[in-house]
Amino acid sequence: MAADQNKQRRGGLVLSERVTRLRRIGAFFGHGTLLLITSSSALAVLFIFYYIARDAIPFFWAEGFGLSDFWRRLGEFFGSTHWYPSNPKPEFGAASIFIGSLMVTLGAVVVAVPLGVAAAICLSDVLPFAVRQYVKPVIEVLAAIPSVAFGFFALVVFAPQLQENGGHLLAIVGWVVGVPIGFLAVLVLSDLLSEPASDRIRPVVRGVLFLALAAGAGYALWEMSVSLNAVKIDSGTNALNVSIILGIMALPTVVSVSEDALQAAGRELREGSYALGATRAETMLKVVVPAAASGICAAVVLGVMRAIGETMVVWMASGNAVQEPKNWFNYLKPVRTLTATIAGDMGEADQMTGSDRFHVLFAMALCLLVISFVCNMISEWAVRRTRRKMGAV
Amino acid sequence: MRLSTRKVLDRSFSGLGIFSIILLGLSLVVLLYPIIERGLGAFIFRGTVEFRKMMVEKFEHGDREAVQAEVAEALAARQPVFDMIKKFETVELKKMGFLERRKYKDPLEELKENLRTLLGPLPGENRPVLPRDQYGQTRWDRAQVKLRYVLEIERYDYSDPTKMGTKYFVSRAEDFKGTSLEKLFPYVKEHFEEMLRPRLTFYWQFLTDQSKDAHIFGGIWAEVLGTLYLTLGAMVFAVPMGVIAAIYLVEYAGDTWYVNILRTCVSTLAGVPSIVFGLFGLAFFINSVGVSESKSVLAGSLTLALLVLPIIIRASEEAIRAVPRTYKEAALSLGAGKWRTIVTVILPAALPGVLTGIVISMGRAAGETAPIIFTATVSVGRALKPMETLTQPTLALPWNIYNLCTEHEAVDEIRHVQYGMVLVLVALVLLLNAAALILRARISKKLRG
Repeated sequence: MAADQNKQRRGGLVLSERVTRLRRIGAFFGHGTLLLITSSSALAVLFIFYYIARDAIPFFWAEGFGLSDFWRRLGEFFGSTHWYPSNPKPEFGAASIFIGSLMVTLGAVVVAVPLGVAAAICLSDVLPFAVRQYVKPVIEVLAAIPSVAFGFFALVVFAPQLQENGGHLLAIVGWVVGVPIGFLAVLVLSDLLSEPASDRIRPVVRGVLFLALAAGAGYALWEMSVSLNAVKIDSGTNALNVSIILGIMALPTVVSVSEDALQAAGRELREGSYALGATRAETMLKVVVPAAASGICAAVVLGVMRAIGETMVVWMASGNAVQEPKNWFNYLKPVRTLTATIAGDMGEADQMTGSDRFHVLFAMALCLLVISFVCNMISEWAVRRTRRKMGAV
Repeated sequence: MRLSTRKVLDRSFSGLGIFSIILLGLSLVVLLYPIIERGLGAFIFRGTVEFRKMMVEKFEHGDREAVQAEVAEALAARQPVFDMIKKFETVELKKMGFLERRKYKDPLEELKENLRTLLGPLPGENRPVLPRDQYGQTRWDRAQVKLRYVLEIERYDYSDPTKMGTKYFVSRAEDFKGTSLEKLFPYVKEHFEEMLRPRLTFYWQFLTDQSKDAHIFGGIWAEVLGTLYLTLGAMVFAVPMGVIAAIYLVEYAGDTWYVNILRTCVSTLAGVPSIVFGLFGLAFFINSVGVSESKSVLAGSLTLALLVLPIIIRASEEAIRAVPRTYKEAALSLGAGKWRTIVTVILPAALPGVLTGIVISMGRAAGETAPIIFTATVSVGRALKPMETLTQPTLALPWNIYNLCTEHEAVDEIRHVQYGMVLVLVALVLLLNAAALILRARISKKLRG
């Protein structure tokens, strides 16, 4: 009993002046400590900026550099494609490396965004709740698999397949994508073009148009598949391989973020649209997706960040060749990206701390950091905008 | 547009969604299937007598006497091969003229080299230095590949100058036509099983053995241990900081400009590419602060801790926010101070959610490669003792997967080790995530009930 009372007293039921002051001081310091710890973990990002920039700046502005040297270095780094860091007279033109990063990121976006947004729409509006319960873990597992496992798959399983059966694989993808799109396009076109005809002959006109267009589309598809079939891929470790794998890696991010945005658009919007007689596709495409546009934009930006910052997959499976300018945007050729260059060249530059070769890698890291910072700001802004907009509805 | 066209469009729109979800699942299956199937091949495979001999001599696994008896039996099956070669060398070659002898010199050496690869050193030869040369093929699948090279010769056809050379095989027996060695080839082919005695083997020690001779023999314990050190080390730093930061952000922080900056910083930290973390770890923890002379587990753990910090902060924030207000109000009305309320009421209630975040971030830390390349890992080494982690670099699963499948001298010989490592890493990460899923299911049940 006595112990209990003691506890209560210390706990603050009986407030003497001394105890209050002590507690106030304690609270002040406690609060201060908490703030300090929180700040230090949050401000780590400023540390990162500072330390990366500190080692990046000597590349552009070393001792004894004049302003003209600075401009020359800047121009060489961003404008030239001559990447010969280990020559006696080294050249650090990183333009083709930037292009390589851009290529694989673009490729990943082309894979991830249509599939991801379609899957998100399907998850939020088409599938029943019970099925959704099974799909969610699949997405989470896909997001959890380490990037080195993806890289291993790309290098050991996917690249040899691509090299041996590349043409056939491309042709299959062409058919899978082309047939539905072609069919729908033909259907819609024949429908729209037959509209001006008078009611009596319209079905006939539509039928004839449909057949003619279908024949044309079929022929185009056939030609396409023949030419794709003939494609020979010299090396399975190329931009296409990496783009596909990065796209799959970015999918979970795109799906979950855009699904959140679609969910946030609310029932009323959908119900209003359905009440006006729109089909589900029309409701989604013309009402819900525009309403959730900024959230979907955030999803795309986050997917881009995932792809551009990814190291292992590109290092293992992109072939790491510095592109010749004439091969730009040929996805069947090996490419080299910023992240892979940093990872691959650091081993050689490490011993010569302080050399240009070391600092140029930090300059690349700084570029990556700035890009991801800008992307992050955009996605934050987009998310905030969605929230505000949805709050207003 | 007609109604029917609109309906078709609607259907195909749903179809696109379902298709992409199926594709999502399919890509998971396509990714995991070869990893699981061939990864299990590192644990369960048909091991030859050479494997059991190697296990006894290098790792002390298995019954020494039984293995010796088996080796003797295998030797008895091999003896005719060795006799044939010996007879050819000592009797037949001696009888030949100089030119003829020269004709057989290279093919004989080549044959002996291939036999060595298949069966280990020939009797009477010195014991080689490298463990990989001391034994023949330990795995039946590799042995069959090597058998082909004993029986046949690999040639390339360059007749078409516009294409790359195409591979074809010719029989090795042709080289020895008309000599007594011609009989060796059908004998080897026929008695191959008796020479190597394959048996289904469950090598669970793959997880707990250290590797010998650059992963040609042995297991992956050093890598597994390194990954555990790095992951746990990262948690030691990240969990207290992350949880405290989350408590502050939810319970103490107001809506001031400073707190907004802090929030922005956390979300920016979450978006920093992982390779940049690696460079930062090198520039800050090693080159500036000097937590260790060069790469070390400590530096790697600190770098990984920064990487997972935002995940922990966000998950903990969410969990703390989800604790009902009434809990807090009840505690405060009973006279508990703010800090006591947090420690005794809010944190226990939020614990499952916080744990979920921690477990997920452990999976992330275990699988991340780029941050530890420059801060913690080496390609060759041994398992570290706990105290050595402060100063020594380590092996780690993700880094050594990269290293083995791109930089190893005999990439094709150790495919099973690579797959085994990937399987172990993926299984580790997925188990952690499964634990998180179960935790989350518990929470939602608790909140509902």
